[in-house]
Amino acid sequence: MAVTSASADPTRLSWYEASARQRVAAFLDADTFQEFVGPAERAMSPHLPLFELPRAFDDGIVVGRGRLDGRPVLVAAQEGRFMGGAFGEVHGAKLVGLLRAAGAVTPAAVLILFDTGGVRLQEANAGETAIAEAMRAIAEVRAAGIPVIGLIGGRAGAYGGGGLIAGTCARLAVSEGGRISVSGPEVIETNKGAEEFDSRDRALVWRTMGGKHRRLTGGADAYVADTVAAFRQAALALIDRAPAFDLATLEAEQARLEARLARFGACRDGAEIWVRLGVNDPDAVPAMTDAAFAETVAGVPEASHDAR
Amino acid sequence: MVAWRNERAARDARLEAGRAFADGKVVAAGSVTDLLEAVLRPGDRVCLEGDNQKQADCLARGLAACDPARIHDLHMVQSGIVLPEHLDVFETGVARRLDYSYSGPQGARIARMLYGGQIALGAVHTYLELFARYFVDLTPHVALIAGVSADRDGNLYTGPNTEDTPTVVEATHFKNGLVIAQVNEIVERVPRVDIPGDRIDFVVEADRPFYVEPLFTRDPAAMTETQILIAMMAIKGIYAEYGVRRLNHGIGFGTAAIELLLPTYGERLGLKGQIATHWALNPHPTLIPAIESGWVTQVHCFGSEVGMDRYIRERPDVFFTGSDGSLRSNRAFCQTAGLYACDMFIGATLQIDLMGHSSTVTQSRVAGFGGAPNMGSDPHGRRHPSETWMKAGREAQIVGDPALMRGRKLVVQLVETFGEGLVPTFVERLDAMELARKTGLELAPVMIYADDVTHIVTEEGIANLLLCRDADEREQAIRGIAGYTEIGRGRDRAKVEALRARGVIRRPEDLGISPLDADRSLLAARSIKDLVHWSGGLYEPPAKFRNW
Repeated sequence: MAVTSASADPTRLSWYEASARQRVAAFLDADTFQEFVGPAERAMSPHLPLFELPRAFDDGIVVGRGRLDGRPVLVAAQEGRFMGGAFGEVHGAKLVGLLRAAGAVTPAAVLILFDTGGVRLQEANAGETAIAEAMRAIAEVRAAGIPVIGLIGGRAGAYGGGGLIAGTCARLAVSEGGRISVSGPEVIETNKGAEEFDSRDRALVWRTMGGKHRRLTGGADAYVADTVAAFRQAALALIDRAPAFDLATLEAEQARLEARLARFGACRDGAEIWVRLGVNDPDAVPAMTDAAFAETVAGVPEASHDAR
Repeated sequence: MVAWRNERAARDARLEAGRAFADGKVVAAGSVTDLLEAVLRPGDRVCLEGDNQKQADCLARGLAACDPARIHDLHMVQSGIVLPEHLDVFETGVARRLDYSYSGPQGARIARMLYGGQIALGAVHTYLELFARYFVDLTPHVALIAGVSADRDGNLYTGPNTEDTPTVVEATHFKNGLVIAQVNEIVERVPRVDIPGDRIDFVVEADRPFYVEPLFTRDPAAMTETQILIAMMAIKGIYAEYGVRRLNHGIGFGTAAIELLLPTYGERLGLKGQIATHWALNPHPTLIPAIESGWVTQVHCFGSEVGMDRYIRERPDVFFTGSDGSLRSNRAFCQTAGLYACDMFIGATLQIDLMGHSSTVTQSRVAGFGGAPNMGSDPHGRRHPSETWMKAGREAQIVGDPALMRGRKLVVQLVETFGEGLVPTFVERLDAMELARKTGLELAPVMIYADDVTHIVTEEGIANLLLCRDADEREQAIRGIAGYTEIGRGRDRAKVEALRARGVIRRPEDLGISPLDADRSLLAARSIKDLVHWSGGLYEPPAKFRNW
């Protein structure tokens, strides 16, 4: 079982339990992380005081540079425990700034450690703008031949604009607890009713948005155990497997998504999709061990592809 | 000539009227309302089984559909007011009087109906108190109960959630009352006979399985470091200090944290086998790691818990199980066990005043009591000694002949100084008193009276009220652990320091605990999935607690 304390063996540290700073520190080569616009600079939200809400010195995101197995990388890590890791003006600007710096720094990769519910409602316009800018910046970084890798296994998942940004990454790694989507369960239930989506049925939430489902449908490229060490291993492997970012890739992705919609558009539940993907015992998927699940994924050709 | 069999004759007449809607004892779900209109009489005392967990919901819907012109002014005597139908009957006039014990989910509506005068309230009881009155002055004329299955003779299998059923049937059947059971299915042969068929008059095959709420599942993922710190203090400062082996836990996150710290922090302190071996407790999923690590000798249960059935079946050395292998629970017996055979009750509350009275009532909700006041009280009928009980007794004893000293039950309140929504836990005056005034209750709904409370634990420290010698010391001991609440800031610093010097107040550092060590890595399980792993896959959590 994974552990939580930073003082314990870092290879066993639980990604889900760790803070953004614990993740970054244990994920990169030891003592190589250099933070940009760190908490000492007090770059805080100008909007939250209007709502009498507490601010964070880092606005809920840690950005900087470090080394991964000796290779230079840029890293952004969202803190899901501060306002659900939501994008505000400063939070978004730090991510966009990091991505824009990649053109000049030319790292081996940019790594985004997602942990977000989406845009912060109290500064929604600035947050939405940041989402759009981040997606544009990722396109430019990838066009320059630098892979952008998303890692998703935090409590808040990658929702809203975070889900959109994840969709523009070259590769994604996800753990069982990780979730990827745009509208969250409660949002869907509020707008469409509990008959459409019962947000309290958490097994349903994970069957439709969770790590295993996203891996089986090829939404994520790697499925990893909930440890920082496993995410590190996966990131190293994915950097080397990042697809080119060109017209052919985009057309392949468009075709893949159209085919997916045609094939699964009528499904009401992730388990129905797994049946159509040829999974033998779909009911067993949620409780499967990591090893058994890896075997299942190996039997699903749609799970692995270079369309991104 | 005096007639001695009037009640029996009335019962026979009801039975006869009901038979029109039955095939033998079996009644179709669609005929429930007809059956009830045939057997009930205006003004009857009726127990509609609403337990802490399982609900006779099919019969509740049938009763709510009765014609108030025929069936009216019923006197409902049931422990739980849980389903909307339990109160609908008061809106239609089918029922008029109410004596109950617990109303968690319907607490707000019951308060409105009390203000509006739709309910004539007898009293809000503790479980044992209401059960006792079933045998004295609140004996039901008709009981509407729930079970898992029955045969055509009425032999009833309650399943793991036996809960109140045996008590309700005992009081009703043996005093000329009528018992109607709803079951999920009628079978050739029940797995075990929990209630013999000759005590069941009619059996209804329900349209859907009876409703059970998972009330005792606490997700370790939601546990905070503050709760862990409080749990560490309780283990070291109370469990270890008094050698508490026989105990009952409340249902909050604080006690769930203690359960998860036993195999880690408790193990490190060398306490295995010394504390927390014998329990009166529902089968809390958070107890699984302690059971699997060999901490727990045995557990008797009030009811069951959703998802725990397979695990319990495979651990008959620990739990009480029937010949069929499944759990046998019994609320009345377990409450009695908690009252007389446990040396400690430990649980949370919403408000504590300067004397230590506590209440879970807020101004807009009447949640009732359930069983906490039974277990959270010092039983004056106890006569067997134990080291824990005698040690607490010695701490409280200040006058009189030591040879006449008796022990004390430990009654511990485990609270954060600020509760949900940063509402202070410590108050000058309980909301319960305002509620009593507004609703005309003769007794303010106090959950645990100050003279029963022995310790209060917060993140700031432990107050040992046994060692307080007068009301002023008691007030300062409570202020001294009340943190930054108004009550806490109103402390007399010198007096609080004097109490600390005497060990009446103990801070984490006095116990050798560093708040920095209160880390989630100490929890034996940090997620529901970890609990599933601990159970070897036997625990099957309900969907609302899963994140896979």
